[in-house]
Amino acid sequence: MRPLLAVLLALALTALLIVAAGKNPLLAYAALGRGALGSWDRVGVGLNKATPYVLTGVGVALCFRARVINIGAEGQIALGGLAATWIALTFPQAPPVVLPLLALAAGALTGAGWAALAAAIRLHRGVHEVLVTLLLNFVGVLIVSEALQGSLGEPGAGFPQSPLLPRASWLPRVLKGSDLHAGIVIAVIVVVLAHVLLWRMPFGFRLRVLGASTPAAVYAGISPPRALLGVMSLAGALAGLAGAVEVLGVHYRLIDGFSHGFGFNAVAIALLGALNPITVLPAGLFFGFLETGALAMQRAVGVPTPLVAVIQGLTMIFILSAMGLSARRSKV
Amino acid sequence: MDVAAELLAAALRIATPLLFAALGGILSERAGVFAVGLEGMMLAGAFAGVIGTHTLGHSGLGLLASAAGGALLAAVVAIATVRCGADQMVTGLAVNILALGLTSYLLRGLFGRGEAPIVRVTPLTPMPIPALGDIPVVGPLLFRQPGLTYVGLALVVVMVAALQRTRAGLTLRAVGENPTAAFASGANPIRVRVLAVLGAGVLAGVGGAVLSLQQVGTFTDGMTNGRGYLALAAIIVGRWSPGGALVGCLLFGATDALQLRIQGLRLPFSSYVIQMLPYVVSLTVLAGLGRSARLPAAIGIPFFREPR
Repeated sequence: MRPLLAVLLALALTALLIVAAGKNPLLAYAALGRGALGSWDRVGVGLNKATPYVLTGVGVALCFRARVINIGAEGQIALGGLAATWIALTFPQAPPVVLPLLALAAGALTGAGWAALAAAIRLHRGVHEVLVTLLLNFVGVLIVSEALQGSLGEPGAGFPQSPLLPRASWLPRVLKGSDLHAGIVIAVIVVVLAHVLLWRMPFGFRLRVLGASTPAAVYAGISPPRALLGVMSLAGALAGLAGAVEVLGVHYRLIDGFSHGFGFNAVAIALLGALNPITVLPAGLFFGFLETGALAMQRAVGVPTPLVAVIQGLTMIFILSAMGLSARRSKV
Repeated sequence: MDVAAELLAAALRIATPLLFAALGGILSERAGVFAVGLEGMMLAGAFAGVIGTHTLGHSGLGLLASAAGGALLAAVVAIATVRCGADQMVTGLAVNILALGLTSYLLRGLFGRGEAPIVRVTPLTPMPIPALGDIPVVGPLLFRQPGLTYVGLALVVVMVAALQRTRAGLTLRAVGENPTAAFASGANPIRVRVLAVLGAGVLAGVGGAVLSLQQVGTFTDGMTNGRGYLALAAIIVGRWSPGGALVGCLLFGATDALQLRIQGLRLPFSSYVIQMLPYVVSLTVLAGLGRSARLPAAIGIPFFREPR
């Protein structure tokens, strides 16, 4: 209920911004809705957009459950995409089903490794994870740029990107007449698994106890460092997987800056999804459709697309404020 | 020697926007509120500075606008974190997203009919100090900088004095260490924190204006590009003291200046590796400090008056 109210409040406030730009907000939102859901093709594009959001959002939500503020999804996505590209370009003769699976696994593994590095710096050197993951984002994105400048780049492309990946590595399409690829299926499976992990497994229980109270967790024999390393690596794996899915399902090549903005979106989606894997799914879909719809809105009504970031930022602020206020009430 | 002096002068120039933001961040964090929103406040200031200068026709008014822009975003942080007790880190991220969206949207919506326009303003020029600017080596380094750089350096001294030697500074630090005790001795922690966050917004906003008005002369989408986060790292490197933060900012400025210079040389790797320098250096320094960096005790913990 609370996330819905936050979204409505954010939409109402941004309507004022649309008015300020001299446009009609009702027409703009109508164009946005049509652009997002107007045809199967549009729905497919929106679901593709939402797929990496759901994957990374689930990971961030699990981290936040244990009060680990991991905002490193962007770097983890970038490196996951890089690893998947490298596999696809290095083993083009691998059988069609094996190659994408191998590339996805490599993406997840690389993302997990990058997140584990952040966790290690956090644990051994005591630097707050927000700063570590933030700074590593910049490094991760630059590693991708460097790779595209060097051995992985397409010579003479005029833009930093890899050559087209072999067709055998592409994720299959799952809806006739649209670009929808198998990534959404992976995302739904991940959501279900994460739900079971969080609510039915010992590891999920540990995360929840840790989030409620560190002393209580330690008293119960839970090791906070081990939980932090575990949940960060898991979130990193999901982000890396998301990067691989973007490369293998949408672009069919590695493109410089393809991960831009994904990391912060993941945080917004985790919050909108109330830090619950099952509800992260609709939250991710909402942001995915919001983005595809915004492009249509800009074309049809002339309202610029950065409005989406305004909606995201406001939604986050409203949810965070409401969370703060209710924590205060429960304490009194 | 000339090369080194020029490098240092460039380091100081690059460090200035960071310095303003870091000083603002110190105000906020010493009062007990994490300053993750510095990035967004800088961006808001950079935007408001350019738009203000462009529409009001005077860079002084533009500077005021940048302070107001940063403060406006800071007000959102203050209401959410201090009034409502929202998580300070994530709220900071949220206002950064908000600032990125809002500035890009307003740039297009108000000035560009949907396209991103280029709003040009004349960059603020260096103000050499007569006589002092002619001293060899030190002169060009310290005394031929743009006006706001002097202001930033002066602010370091002012803030050290204010934090250590004035009643207001003492109250601010007390609120950051133990708001309940500060409250018991007659201070109003909520008001102190709100004012500190607003002060951070003003300073970070001016820091953004240094970038847009003094260095670039226009506003582009997301032009702060992580500088707010580097300022945050500089605060920790400098252990929450204005002088220390200055050293941290100069360190990052020097890395960046060096990075720009070795890009011209022929090296076996591309410029991207060198671009990683500021981030790797700040990570290394932070990791080197390790746990010796002690946070203000009550940072991140919301303060509410207990209902009686």
